[in-house]
Formats: sequence, structure tokens, C-alpha cells
Amino acid sequence: MEIIQVVGIGLLSTVLILVLKEQKPMFAFLLTTAAGILIFLFLIGKIGTILGTLERVAESSGMEMIYIKTVFKIIGISYIAEFGAQIVRDAGQESIASKIELAGKVLIMVLAVPIISIIIETVMKLLPA
Amino acid sequence: MTWLGGWLRELILVVLLAAFVEMLLPSKSMERYARLVLSLLVLLTLLSPIVALLKGDVTGELSLAMNQQEKKGGVFSGAGKGAGSLEKILADGRVLAAGAQEQSLKLAAEEVAGQMRNQIAGITGVQGAKVTVTLGMGKASDTTQGEAVPVIASVKVSFPPAVSASGSGSGPAAGTTTGSPSEPIVITPVEPVQVNLGSDTDEDSAAASATSSPDIPEGSSATPGKGTDQDQTESIIKLLEQNWNLSREVIQVQKSTAGEAKL
Repeated sequence: MEIIQVVGIGLLSTVLILVLKEQKPMFAFLLTTAAGILIFLFLIGKIGTILGTLERVAESSGMEMIYIKTVFKIIGISYIAEFGAQIVRDAGQESIASKIELAGKVLIMVLAVPIISIIIETVMKLLPA
Repeated sequence: MTWLGGWLRELILVVLLAAFVEMLLPSKSMERYARLVLSLLVLLTLLSPIVALLKGDVTGELSLAMNQQEKKGGVFSGAGKGAGSLEKILADGRVLAAGAQEQSLKLAAEEVAGQMRNQIAGITGVQGAKVTVTLGMGKASDTTQGEAVPVIASVKVSFPPAVSASGSGSGPAAGTTTGSPSEPIVITPVEPVQVNLGSDTDEDSAAASATSSPDIPEGSSATPGKGTDQDQTESIIKLLEQNWNLSREVIQVQKSTAGEAKL
């Protein structure tokens, strides 16, 4: 039933924004942001449930915690970057939005650096000198 | 065989996790990058037996690298500053601890000085001696352990000249000494005092130990004032040496007006 609430919030805010946009574009933008944050907060609990389940399963099966930590970081970075970029894009600043996305991509890549270095070192040791 | 089972289980879990997380990702633009990192993780899990063989602890190294990344942080993260402030807090703590130690040393020194004064008054019969004890941190002489313990760095005993040491009984004699402090310390006013001192200590010696009482009458009979002072000094030093296990160099006994006997 939560999906109805989410869609309801979305439709309502869309109608209001369309009405408001003619008179006060600034308030329309604020309303857009507020609606986005509301839906995001609505979802964040569900995301937390999913991640908690994943963590519990990984813990019980003896998986290395550093792997799951990395994965969670990826998810967090991509969600936050996406959310911020869309808000900025709604305000019409396409270039800043793309910069935020770039930052998200770079930060995800940075997470890969230790893994890559370990793999490469192993491969170099495997090769005959 | 068990490690093979564990390895397989870990591999399956990582692949499942990667597939699940890929669906969770919000947008297509991030997907490629996230997929790269996830596939690297899968690869690392696949290679983990070989990596463990060649490099040892993989996960430890990985978590170390991640922690370092977190610590370095970005331009905006206050990670570096936080570490600095932590160091500052630790330094402040050390300073505070040193201050507290100094204070406790001072308190202990006062206590020790009080005890010494009581002992000097009780055993040698010198009343009104002023004892100043300086404590310092150092290695105890009898222990070989490296930890610093409070030791008595110096003891300064200054006792009033024999006149006033003799007590309140000799009012006029004390008056003469204090009336002209520098010149007329000529031994003449001191001389009658020796007798008083002797009698005084005799009275005191009922309660006190016998170490000083034989000395002083002897000194008073054999040598004039100076000798008694020497005796007193000597007995005080001996007392402190015996009771407090001190070496002679740290004890400094002087008369409060002029005469000083530093040993």
C-alpha cells in the first residue's frame, strides 16, 4: 500500500508545482525538492531493511565483512549522488548535476583501487620473473 | 576439503550480492562503474586461495587500505582535522596528568616534611625546625624496573639557632639574638643557651629517644655553641639518613640565621 502513498504524494506535488510554476517558479522548485526528499525518506527505511538483511546473511555465512562494506559504500554513493544530481537538474543546472554525477563515479572508482592493487600484485607474483 | 566448501560458498554469496546490488542501483549512469567494482570483488573472491598463498592476509590488507582512504578523506571532510584535534586532546591530557602529578608530589612532599619535622623534634629535640622536601620523579635505587617513582630529591632543614631551639624558657637570650641579627651573634649570648638546651632536651627526652640527649650535654660541656650546632646538624642528618634511607648529599642542614652546614 505504500506505493499508493508514494504515487499520491508524487501526483499531488506535480499538480501543485504545475499550478505554482506560473506564478512563483522559485516556490515550485522548493516544492519539487521537498517532494523528492519526502519520497526518498519514505524509501530509506525500506533500503535499510534490504541492506540489513544482506548484512545478516553475509555475516551468518562467514563472508568477509570488508566486501559487504565496499558494496554498501557503492550503493550509498550512487544513491546520494543520483538524488543530489536530480534535484540540481530540476532546478535547471544541468552542468552542476553532471559534475555531481562525475564525483559519484570517481568516488566509486576510488573504492576499486585497493582491490585492483591486490589483484595486480597477485598476478605479478604469479608471472615468472 | 572444507576450505573448498567455504571458498565456493563465499563465491556464490558474492555473485548473488553483486547481482542484487546492481538492481538496487538508482541510475544507469552509475551502473557501469558499480559493475566494475563488483566484478573486481568477484574476481578477488575467485582468486582468494591464490592470493592467500602468495600475499597472506588479503582482507586485512584490504581493510587497512580502506581505512587509510577514509582517514585521508577529501577536501571537505574534517577527517584530518579530527585526527589533529585528537592529538591535541591527548597532548592536553598529558599536560593535565603532569600537572596532577606535580600537585600530588607537592602534597606528598609537604606530608613527608611534616613527618620529618616531627621526628627531628621528637628525637633530637630541636624545636621549630623548618624542613623543605623536594620530590622528583626518578628511578628508585633499589629497583631495577624502568618505571619512574617519586624519590626525595633534596631535603633542606633549617633550624633556628640554638638559642631559640632551646625553647621559650630563655626569653631574654632569644631577645638579644633577634635584636641584632648580624653582628652580635657573637658566641657570648649563645653560650648560656647551651645550658638551657641541655635542660630542655633533658625534659624532652622523657618522651624522646635517647640518641640525642647524651650528645647534647656532652657537646655543651666539652665545646662551646658551635660544637653543639654541629652535633645537632650531625644528629639530624643521621636521623634522616637512617629513617628515610637517604644519602648524605641530598640532606642539607643549616641554621636559619647565619651558620650553614652543607654536607
